[in-house]
Amino acid sequence: MSLVHEIDYGTPASRSEKQVTLTIDGRAVTVPEGTSIMRASMEAGIQIPKLCATDMVDAFGSCRLCLVEVEGRNGTPSSCTTPVAANMVVHTQTNRLKDIRRGVMELYISDHPLDCLTCAANGDCELQDMAGAVGLRDVRYGYDGGNHVRARNDGEINARWMPKDESNPYFTYDPSKCIVCSRCVRACEEVQGTFALTIEGRGFESRVSPGAHEHFLESECVSCGACVQACPTATLTEKSVIAIGQPEHSAVTTCAYCGVGCSFKAEMRGEELVRMVPWKDGQANRGHSCVKGRFAYGYASHKDRILNPMIREKISDPWREVSWEEAFSHVATELRRLQYQYGRESIGGITSSRCTNEETFLVQKLVRAGFGNNNVDTCARVCHSPTGYGLGQAFGTSAGTQNFDSIEQSDVVIVIGANPTDGHPVFGSRLKKRLRQGAKLIVIDPRRIDLVRTPHVEAAYHLPLKPGTNVAVMTALAHVIVNEGLANEQFIRERCDWSEFEDWAAFVSEEAHSPEATESFTGVPANLLRGAARLFATGGNGAIYYGLGVTEHSQGSTTVMAIANLAMATGNIGRPGVGVNPLRGQNNVQGSCDMGSFPHELPGYRHISDDATRDTFEKLWGVTLDNEPGLRIPNMLDAAVEGTFKAIYIQGEDILQSDPDTKHVSAGLAAMECVVVHDLFLNETANYAHVFLPGSTFLEKDGTFTNAERRINRVRKVMSPKNGYADWEVTQKLAQAMGLNWNYAHPSQIMDEVAATTPSFALVSYDYLEKMGSVQWPCNEAHPQGSPIMHVDGFVRGKGKFIRTEYVATDERTGPRFPLLLTTGRILSQYNVGAQTRRTENVAWHAEDRLEIHPHDAEQRGIKDGDWIKLASRSGDTTLRALITDRVSPGVVYTTFHHPDTQANVITTDFSDWATNCPEYKVTAVQVSPSNGPTEWQEDYNDLSRRSRRVAGKMEAAE
Amino acid sequence: MTMRISADEIALRSRDIIHDLKPLEGPMLPILHALQAEFGYLPDAVKPIIADELNLSRAEVHGVVTFYPDFRDHPGGRHVLKICRAEACQSMGGDDLADRVRSLLGIDFHQTTPDDAVTLEPVYCLGLCACAPAAMLDGAVYGRVDEHCLSEIVAELRQ
Amino acid sequence: MSHDQGQEKLVRMANQIATFFMSQPEAERASGVATHINKFWEPRMRRHLFDRLDEGADGLMPLVVEASAMINRPPPPAEAGSRNATPKSI
Repeated sequence: MSLVHEIDYGTPASRSEKQVTLTIDGRAVTVPEGTSIMRASMEAGIQIPKLCATDMVDAFGSCRLCLVEVEGRNGTPSSCTTPVAANMVVHTQTNRLKDIRRGVMELYISDHPLDCLTCAANGDCELQDMAGAVGLRDVRYGYDGGNHVRARNDGEINARWMPKDESNPYFTYDPSKCIVCSRCVRACEEVQGTFALTIEGRGFESRVSPGAHEHFLESECVSCGACVQACPTATLTEKSVIAIGQPEHSAVTTCAYCGVGCSFKAEMRGEELVRMVPWKDGQANRGHSCVKGRFAYGYASHKDRILNPMIREKISDPWREVSWEEAFSHVATELRRLQYQYGRESIGGITSSRCTNEETFLVQKLVRAGFGNNNVDTCARVCHSPTGYGLGQAFGTSAGTQNFDSIEQSDVVIVIGANPTDGHPVFGSRLKKRLRQGAKLIVIDPRRIDLVRTPHVEAAYHLPLKPGTNVAVMTALAHVIVNEGLANEQFIRERCDWSEFEDWAAFVSEEAHSPEATESFTGVPANLLRGAARLFATGGNGAIYYGLGVTEHSQGSTTVMAIANLAMATGNIGRPGVGVNPLRGQNNVQGSCDMGSFPHELPGYRHISDDATRDTFEKLWGVTLDNEPGLRIPNMLDAAVEGTFKAIYIQGEDILQSDPDTKHVSAGLAAMECVVVHDLFLNETANYAHVFLPGSTFLEKDGTFTNAERRINRVRKVMSPKNGYADWEVTQKLAQAMGLNWNYAHPSQIMDEVAATTPSFALVSYDYLEKMGSVQWPCNEAHPQGSPIMHVDGFVRGKGKFIRTEYVATDERTGPRFPLLLTTGRILSQYNVGAQTRRTENVAWHAEDRLEIHPHDAEQRGIKDGDWIKLASRSGDTTLRALITDRVSPGVVYTTFHHPDTQANVITTDFSDWATNCPEYKVTAVQVSPSNGPTEWQEDYNDLSRRSRRVAGKMEAAE
Repeated sequence: MTMRISADEIALRSRDIIHDLKPLEGPMLPILHALQAEFGYLPDAVKPIIADELNLSRAEVHGVVTFYPDFRDHPGGRHVLKICRAEACQSMGGDDLADRVRSLLGIDFHQTTPDDAVTLEPVYCLGLCACAPAAMLDGAVYGRVDEHCLSEIVAELRQ
Repeated sequence: MSHDQGQEKLVRMANQIATFFMSQPEAERASGVATHINKFWEPRMRRHLFDRLDEGADGLMPLVVEASAMINRPPPPAEAGSRNATPKSI
């Protein structure tokens, strides 16, 4: 086992279909037209020396090291900027080239520190490599005179020297080692799209400058690390490499944060993780990453991590550490007792959208085969369950239709209810790259998200609708398209039911659904909406990307259906560059749904009432399965309060922090007799738990995650679980304690069982994934390579279904008591409830949640930026600090939910989507007023939390 | 004596100038020249304003501003005297001329005289090689600069 | 939340479903509501609904009442300590 080796070809690959043949060093080489000589050589195994070229960015031609000689041409062109031509004859090594290259290296080394042996890049430095490659022996210029290396020259202060910038928590910038190759600047521009870096000055004075000569942390940098990855020297280096040293082996694994599912090489020394480096062949991220995946893995070794099982009688008692055996036997006994006393349906489980597919499969199997009911659910309930319902109705399958590569062929992109530069950063960067190439953007969001206007990107249309009016806006867009004759009739006739279309077309054409008629309550000017509709219908390949701003509404499912209608009406399905793309939030929420985490579905989205499907599982598992739908999470809590639901096994989810109407959640949990929490930390839900089973991180287990593209990616174990068992082992042992005869020796066996029972996974196995890297389901006989694009020839249900989408105003109305509308969202550096990211250095960026409020609304209330304010709704109130901004419209306020002491969900109501009970997080009527400090609830809650985290025999950790 | 302009005024006057020039193709350089003409230099505060108006990053604007020696980040003298330091002028006594000017004015290159009369800058080739050594005062060029020419220039400055 | 509160919540949910299907073509309305409830509502939830229907359907939209003919009425709750407490092996 050694470091996964990736070849740097120097310049990006060409997409051309035409091939060109040339001769390099006497060998015939054939490559696509448009390939550079450097890349062509590398593909033939010839490494031309280079410093300023790297294949993540376009050629630059500044270092003059990669020069070659071309027969019939004068001079020595740089191979990175010179494209191949038919019959070209290239020599990469001649006397003249040797002299020139040595001369270039002499110049570089004359202004560079010579501390290789103690430098962090020792062993991984391209400058070192090039010095060796060109045979550098002598630096005839000497090392005296003007330089950037020494703080003092002959005792005098050296004005050119700059000290190290260690402001960023994860990497260091050392200007004395910089060779001004500009790779970092170009990576920030081309790959990340933030443009946070530049070269200031000129000539010998040139230096890298974050922002306008600022420290990294205060500049526009978002800490994605692309510059660190691109830097050929130790100038930009990970602090972990400085502290530990060079890694010696690595494994490709998948990030455990968001639904993009970036592939990383986990680079190790022994069982210590040295750093995470994006894997260029990762098809979701293509070698890029964000701050969380690349740097924020510190939570895995945080002091808060619980490593031993714990039990307690009452939730007011301190925890008691026990052995695994005692914990399993206790849980099994309790669960069976409660079932005997209260009925088979009185217990249930929640699977994790952050654990692997295999682990999720086992939890739902435990509930169905072990508990004997269907009371299993997952966090998708509170985020994308409307996607499942809506797309299931319209297309026949409940997942996104494209892969992320598809964005490269889009011409018009609608982003509705999503904030990709914060929530799906790597996808956000790929989107921005396409927009800089000329694609057009329509943003539908109550808030002016970054995408609306950010360096080099400007949305053609921003429709700032009032929260809750999504359906009206989508139907109005459809109205314009149908009425102005912009629908794609050919596509509709071929792929959809024409009579259903006619019915729907008549419906959307009604005057009441026009932009003019809806403007008064949506807040979107009619001419703007018309312009956006026309652009989408006529601008070429149209793609729709949406997120929780669509689903977390009482009309979430309806909006999803409206999106599907729009895509079908404009013929934007079934090829690259188009499609309906739900931006799934969690690393494995797609997988968790696939694995049958819903109370009404077995793995593969088959209803439990379907006899044939049940039969497959009954035969395999040797037990009769309940054929009635089970309880969803909010209904579990309702039933608990009513006294008919008594125990729950929660794996990797913190419902007390993430679910709405906190008081209702805590009432539900408090009413249960056996709450089992299986997690990394004592989270908020654990305050009400009777058993705590320590969990394992993604670095400590084998498995698979399925990202928003339906892509099944391997998760590879690189260290032993600090808690002793991988999560799938814990679930297995629990099942065994309950009398189930499970004997999985490795997660691959669990995946084999999935493949044997689930048609869309039929060909998936660990061997196949080794071979293919990753596959997008469906992956079976009909689609042996997987399915990058779905519904290519026909929809999964046959014909696409047009469904009428009537606007229904939410019950959550503003009024004199609660005149403002609160909506919520995420930011880049913190993830979800913050359980992981708050336990890393990311707190440098977002130490608290703030309430964004418009200047008018703030002024009316006498609130200044930074003031403590009370945020109140019908459900409850909480306190946080204000942030005055005009990103939100008057009448709308916004906050994040990353910190538990904010208790943001005390405010949210129990209103939810009509079809799936997905909570209406995005619309809450609130009032904002100045405050003195935390509310009584917050103080009581903090007390409860502290008391609840006591572990017998251990000192309370100082915060 | 240098005039301090308030941040609000800088912002107001900058945005006016930028709005006028924004429609041009490649507006950044015309804007920078206009702003320097307005304020006598480029205050740091204009960089984020330009970035916002042109939808660029602060870094990009900073990179452009610092690349061109003509753009000052602090107020300069009432006049700018540039002495050519390139090879053709060197071969015709350009180095001696540079030394002479420095001692006459009492300042080094990139510095301004205490009475704010003049800032002295080097320039690399004015394209007057046939009339070396050459110099430029506020945009007006001088060729075959000798002692007599120099005293004319200095007199001009003292006005 | 009391038994009544729980029932109220389900009445609201049923009405929300009915509101959606009121916007659909006539032929799909009642069957749409019934199919949805059969597919997604656990027996205890359906029991609450039938309790309300049996008591006079107070607060329920007419479409819900119409659809109830096609909704699966769940059996009465099992006795405590019954032999049905654990799954049946095959």
